[in-house]
Amino acid sequence: MLLAKLALGFCGTMVLAGTYTFHEGILRVDEDHGDGRHVHVWVPAAIVPMALHVVPRHRLERATAKARPWLPMFRALAKEVEKYPEADLVEVRDGNERVHIRTHSGKLLIDVIEPDANIHVVCPLVMMQDVSEQLAKSASGV
Amino acid sequence: MIPHTRLSVENAGVVLASAVLITLGCANLIPTFAAQASLGPGASGQVAASSSSHDRWLHVRVTNPNSSEESVRVNVPLELAEKILPTINQHRLHSGKVSFDEADCHGVDIRALLDAVRTSKDGEFVTVQNKDSDVRVAKRNGYLLVHVFEKNHPKKSQVEVKVPMKVVDALFSAGKDELDLVAGLRALSIQGDTELVSVKDEENSVRVWVDSKNGSD
Repeated sequence: MLLAKLALGFCGTMVLAGTYTFHEGILRVDEDHGDGRHVHVWVPAAIVPMALHVVPRHRLERATAKARPWLPMFRALAKEVEKYPEADLVEVRDGNERVHIRTHSGKLLIDVIEPDANIHVVCPLVMMQDVSEQLAKSASGV
Repeated sequence: MIPHTRLSVENAGVVLASAVLITLGCANLIPTFAAQASLGPGASGQVAASSSSHDRWLHVRVTNPNSSEESVRVNVPLELAEKILPTINQHRLHSGKVSFDEADCHGVDIRALLDAVRTSKDGEFVTVQNKDSDVRVAKRNGYLLVHVFEKNHPKKSQVEVKVPMKVVDALFSAGKDELDLVAGLRALSIQGDTELVSVKDEENSVRVWVDSKNGSD
């Protein structure tokens, strides 16, 4: 009986932790190369802004210093694009090559299709906003 | 009996709490996974008409009449462009305005020209014809129309620009030698559906227009 209670408590905690971890969705990067290489990265979006806290400060400051001219634009874009959860933004086709940028279900989707590689990125818009705010804070402290 | 009852109540409480947690968890996770699964890496973008009818979108299409495999499609909400442009300060673009100098205008006093256009009556008022091209500039029904037809150009290009005069006025509302792009976009957003630019030649066809649709034509 005690074991069952412990198991239930553990499961409940796991569900709660899982719910929090995945509540912002998943950042997905899938790369399929013609030479057989495959890279698949699935990261809970809620973790990414947290991870920025543990990146060594000097590295983050160096990166944000380089990106500083574009940070206001990135921040504005991340904030504004959330208002358009379903939109086809850019599509470029040239023979076998295709780049498609769109939003769907509150996520930014970027598909790059080339003869020797396919790259697909799915990025929750909420995460983009969180990251842009983190970077802006970091840049203001440079 | 009493300890047994207490145990049952405790168990029921634990089970109930777990069920609530699991339900909450699933309610939160299922839409996320369903959305991820429904996308598929190369799934084509299904554009739902979720945006408000008041949203105005700027569309750009570049197509090749000879090949269906070459195309560029850009759809930008005017409001998004209005918010983002002032944040870009690079080269000639600053605070939503773009600067230009006399060299860009080939010695033409653009403001004087526009004043002349504004005060003139509707109809054709500038036509330049030579062996290479015909250029027509006109004001009609509150629009500035520019039509360029290059006769001897190897690609026989034909350019048509149609901009509401209110947008032109907004563009030139900034200081001297500056175009206020944000003011122009704001003026454009209160106009009706408008085809702004059409360029056609033997290789490409370019269209720029504004409407309230958030996706492809």
